[in-house]
Amino acid sequence: MPNKWRQALRNPLALSGFIIIFGILLLAILAPFIAPYDANAIDVKAILLPPSLQHPMGTDGLGRDVFSRMLFGARISLLVGIVAVGIATSIGIFLGAISGYYRGWVDVVIMRLVDVMLSIPTFFLILAVIAFLTPSIWNIMIVIGLTSWMGVTRLVRAEFLSLRGREFVMASETLGARDFRMIFIHMLPNSLTPIMVSFVLGVASAVLVESGLSFLGLGVQAPQASWGNILTDGKEYIQFAWWLSLFPGVAILLTVLGYNLLGEGLRDVLDPRANNTR
Amino acid sequence: MIRYLLKRLFWMVPLLVGISLISFLIMHLAPGDITNSEASFNPKASEESRQKLRELYNLDKPIIVQYGLWLKRMVKLDFGTSFASHQKPVFWQTKDAEGNVIKGMIQEALPITLLINVLSLGLIIFAAVPLGVVSAITQNRPPDRAITLFVFIGFAIPGFWLALMLMYWTGVVHDWLPISGIHSLNHDKMSAWGQLWDTLTHLALPVFISGLSGLAGISLFIRNGMLDVLHQDYITTARAKGLSENTVVYRHALRNAMLPLITILGLAIPGLIGGSVIAESIFAIPGMGKLFYDAVLMRDFPVIMGILTIGSALTLLGNLIADIAYAWADPRVRRGVM
Repeated sequence: MPNKWRQALRNPLALSGFIIIFGILLLAILAPFIAPYDANAIDVKAILLPPSLQHPMGTDGLGRDVFSRMLFGARISLLVGIVAVGIATSIGIFLGAISGYYRGWVDVVIMRLVDVMLSIPTFFLILAVIAFLTPSIWNIMIVIGLTSWMGVTRLVRAEFLSLRGREFVMASETLGARDFRMIFIHMLPNSLTPIMVSFVLGVASAVLVESGLSFLGLGVQAPQASWGNILTDGKEYIQFAWWLSLFPGVAILLTVLGYNLLGEGLRDVLDPRANNTR
Repeated sequence: MIRYLLKRLFWMVPLLVGISLISFLIMHLAPGDITNSEASFNPKASEESRQKLRELYNLDKPIIVQYGLWLKRMVKLDFGTSFASHQKPVFWQTKDAEGNVIKGMIQEALPITLLINVLSLGLIIFAAVPLGVVSAITQNRPPDRAITLFVFIGFAIPGFWLALMLMYWTGVVHDWLPISGIHSLNHDKMSAWGQLWDTLTHLALPVFISGLSGLAGISLFIRNGMLDVLHQDYITTARAKGLSENTVVYRHALRNAMLPLITILGLAIPGLIGGSVIAESIFAIPGMGKLFYDAVLMRDFPVIMGILTIGSALTLLGNLIADIAYAWADPRVRRGVM
């Protein structure tokens, strides 16, 4: 494995993705130390100021410093993306593993459930659930997680189905290994590579979904800053304040691009057989 | 072919039951009873409409009976009337007491969203196929690199942000394109061609926005499919026969690389329908996405449930059509070889 990591760092796609993500992660973690202002501090004397030395990304309609809000927004975007996809991946690993390991009717039921979930337009499903609950950062993470586990499930199931026929699996089965041991000690570690790739690519789309929801006012709620809800303000003031729309959009673009590059690069390096599906 | 069709239709039954179950469960997600949470958010909900909601979903009956009745109403496509817009029927037109026809909300919104989606699919196919082919035949050379860069950016760019930027650039700075709605105010006074042009210019940006990420995905898909196909034996055979490179690429390779595209387009439908929420609410287009978004904001439950169900049914229908088209295009599928 360590050898593979060194190889991954030599892949230009993976490396550039890694640098982008690492940079944004660093800014997000250090936000309280870098931010020049309190992200929620309203200053009526500094409304809609264009970018300057005092306010590197200008100020918004309430006189809040956009650069500070962007830094704290980065925390939200990364947190929501990683937690949501963490939830989805855990569900996917669990369902995919028992589906591929036990086969039979368990497999049939789980795969039908996947088909059903895939035929409901995901964004509608997310919005409907949010309409019945209330929008908050925790609900967003849970809802995105609960509506995006289908791909991982199929992936883990396929891995398990192909691992079942392998000699080392049959050997441990002959030695009387229990189901739990078979699944978690023998088979799961051998399917980690594609799971990791799908995790990284999943975070990219979760970041997009979260920013879309926040933009529509159904995600992270004001005054908490997120890139999506800074853009909501940007829409309001688009004729007077281009900086309110430009910076958060570029930030989302870079983050998603970074995760996609990292994911595709890792796939090239770690999993050379499967490079034609997304 | 008929046996294949019947088998395929039969498989839709458990999916429909599953969709009804999930939408039923979502209805019961709300803390307490939906009439309470609705009342606390929606100031327009009177005691009378709460009573109506209780009757509509039979909330006073046991949960199994509730589900049975919900299933029955789904089959009849009866989703009740909207709370927010003066008791309009959610799905299809009805007559009121004086015999006036009241149009259904989905009935009015669906054609608009379908039109945008069909145009986006058209854009995707006509742009993505050439991009993918060029990318494949120039593998790792500058055109391929440029197209791959475009693909990565197309995946990563947030559609709503691009929509804002394009609205600003083409509508505010330059006044090239109209930026909201689907008609101009004086649409009715225009000639037939003028009306068509008016609608097309209104739809240009929304169609581009809703098609962009699909466009990126499909061109990558065609590229990888072409690269796979170009290394197969029958392509070597075709070259060995002395066929021109164009014949090899377009007649032999592309036709096979495009086959799986049918399935992929079928799978893209839920994304397109879901994506319409953002495009339509930004451009103020009165389609399914905007209707859904407004219903979510107003907590107009009958409309939410109606659109969720109709949207899923359309997805199933799209997948069915894609499968039939695939079976029609590839005899191996309908004979059960693959």
